[in-house]
Amino acid sequence: MNKDRTLSSLAARNPLSRPMQHSSHRRKFLQGVAAGMAAAALPGGLAAQSSRPLSLLTWDAYADPNLLALWKEQTGVDVRYEIHISDPSSVNRLRAGETSVWDFINVNNPWARNVMWPAGLIKDLPRERFEPLYAEMKPKFQMPYKWAMSEDEEHLLGIVQRYETFDFVINPDVISPALAQDEGWDLFNNPDFAGRYGILAYEDWNVMDICMGAGIHPFKEKSEEDIAKFEETCKRWIENAALITTDFVQLNLAILNGEIDMYFTGGTYTTAAARLEGVTELYAITPNSGPADGKGGINWIELNSAVNNPDFQEASFDWLEFITTVDAAELVARGNGNLQPVSQMSNPDLMARFSSEELAAIQWDEFDQRIANAVEFDIVPDYDRLYDIYSAAMRERG
Amino acid sequence: MDGDMNTRSTPGRWFAAPVAVFMMLCFAAPILIVTWYSLMPSRTFGLTGDLTLENYRSAFTDGYGRPLMWSLMGAATTTVVTAILAWPTAVILHRYAGKWASVTSALIALPIFISESVRLFGMSVFLMPRGGILAGTLNAVFGIQIGSIMNTWAAAQFGMIYIHLPFMLFPLLLGISLIPADRIEAARDLGANRWQSFREIELPLAAPGLMIGALLTFVLCLGANAEAAILGGRAVTVITAAIEQRFNYAQDWPMGAALTVIVIAVTALIVLPVLSRLDLNKLTGR
Repeated sequence: MNKDRTLSSLAARNPLSRPMQHSSHRRKFLQGVAAGMAAAALPGGLAAQSSRPLSLLTWDAYADPNLLALWKEQTGVDVRYEIHISDPSSVNRLRAGETSVWDFINVNNPWARNVMWPAGLIKDLPRERFEPLYAEMKPKFQMPYKWAMSEDEEHLLGIVQRYETFDFVINPDVISPALAQDEGWDLFNNPDFAGRYGILAYEDWNVMDICMGAGIHPFKEKSEEDIAKFEETCKRWIENAALITTDFVQLNLAILNGEIDMYFTGGTYTTAAARLEGVTELYAITPNSGPADGKGGINWIELNSAVNNPDFQEASFDWLEFITTVDAAELVARGNGNLQPVSQMSNPDLMARFSSEELAAIQWDEFDQRIANAVEFDIVPDYDRLYDIYSAAMRERG
Repeated sequence: MDGDMNTRSTPGRWFAAPVAVFMMLCFAAPILIVTWYSLMPSRTFGLTGDLTLENYRSAFTDGYGRPLMWSLMGAATTTVVTAILAWPTAVILHRYAGKWASVTSALIALPIFISESVRLFGMSVFLMPRGGILAGTLNAVFGIQIGSIMNTWAAAQFGMIYIHLPFMLFPLLLGISLIPADRIEAARDLGANRWQSFREIELPLAAPGLMIGALLTFVLCLGANAEAAILGGRAVTVITAAIEQRFNYAQDWPMGAALTVIVIAVTALIVLPVLSRLDLNKLTGR
């Protein structure tokens, strides 16, 4: 593929001005959807008309214009949205009183069960309506699915959809994927790669990755010796990073430009769209092994929840059911020009809609193995102390 | 006489009331809330905890001086460099550009209407090594291979100058327009050389515009974050990034609030003395 074209197309897709990536297949599909819409009935019935729009505080896939158009067609309910900066910043907003502003929030798995539900920021879902949806998902999500439930397992807190294992990305022209999978996080400990890697500053993820690199289970209590190992690794990794950014497009471009050979944290979410465009220099890696009960990868699972809005509207529940329908799930998987596995991919109707090129872009042939080689994103014990070490190392950089 | 004064001043107070209420709600109240939060125990979210100065102690002992230093240094450097760049530009636009002055001013002003982050991403594509626009073009056309300042503090500094130049230029243009041409001619006739004319006549007369430009640029740069993040590759952490970290991933609002109060105090210490010397009547020609 012409590198200039790749660079310009990647640069144009920075998160602030990301154009939609429509294929002709998708346009045809959408035309078909529009034609069949009159006959299509939303499971659970048509959403109630409301005086205010359904308000989404969300990651980008759920703000996809095609998804919103499909919802509007089916229900007539208007939608407004704002795209997250990070999980904690959005939880902050709800905590600061914005529960009266938003109806829907989607954040990564531990936030709902461990933070938002105990703080009364989200609403539990009617189990009889939503539990059957879990039976249609990949087997790992069968009920009672831990991250969808409150700790006492009494309350259903949301619907899972997008997920993957999110570890690091290499340039396979420089490092063979098989070697990277075997070496795992030790690649970043290798002095030969000092100054040859970047960091995607999803900072809670960075803390977990540095634990892995220090040989510590991120989700278990830390001894003083563990903390010392973390501190040493953290300072070294941050000091040796060529660049640190919150924009994964910049990191992908840095790999293409030969500035770096790899970066953490990253995975399908950061590479699939570029890989689909023919960029072969990006490859998502999940280590074959690591210190987390023998595993080295970390899975994230987004939980879609209804905000505990004092002016609650039934359309919030309708939306949660809508996104699991095959048509909507396809749009979520392709959300805003990206490609992301969703829990409904166990459904053959949905799988049939992805081309072999698209499945190659998300490294689907090894996806289940990568998930199996990973532990699930959880609350990190001693996180405050580890994060303070991490942020101090950031301040000391340069 | 006193009665007349009272009659005259009372309506003024009433007219000022809406602005006063607005300022109380939108300016004073948030600062009060942030200040109160800064006195709450670390990593709590309520406003009713025991008052403590612990966050301020941490702010001075946990290495936050370094990010504050980078922010102050970046703001000061940007203010000086943009002033040096803007002065001749303003003089040319005012005295020599003629009918092109308004077109040129519009072209300089236009980027302000585009998101700062978008402009910085554009600049990062320009500055990128190898495949970047500058390095790629030089290599393709002239066979010259250059490195890149991307992901360094120099790149962040360059970005701050690039973004903030208009904020210095336009107030300075106003300042330059306050200099009557005949004063400079008179100084020359009396034997002043160019330097003396600049120092004794032009600089004092344009000072209000220069001061406003300097204040705007300095304060905006002190709060700047995007340049260090997008062009600087976080080679250094600026104070706003450190504050964001406390509010965000650290979930430590009181500590973030304490750092915010310190930055507001430092800004006030620097800005208020300058503001007190500023004569707006002079600038507006009244």
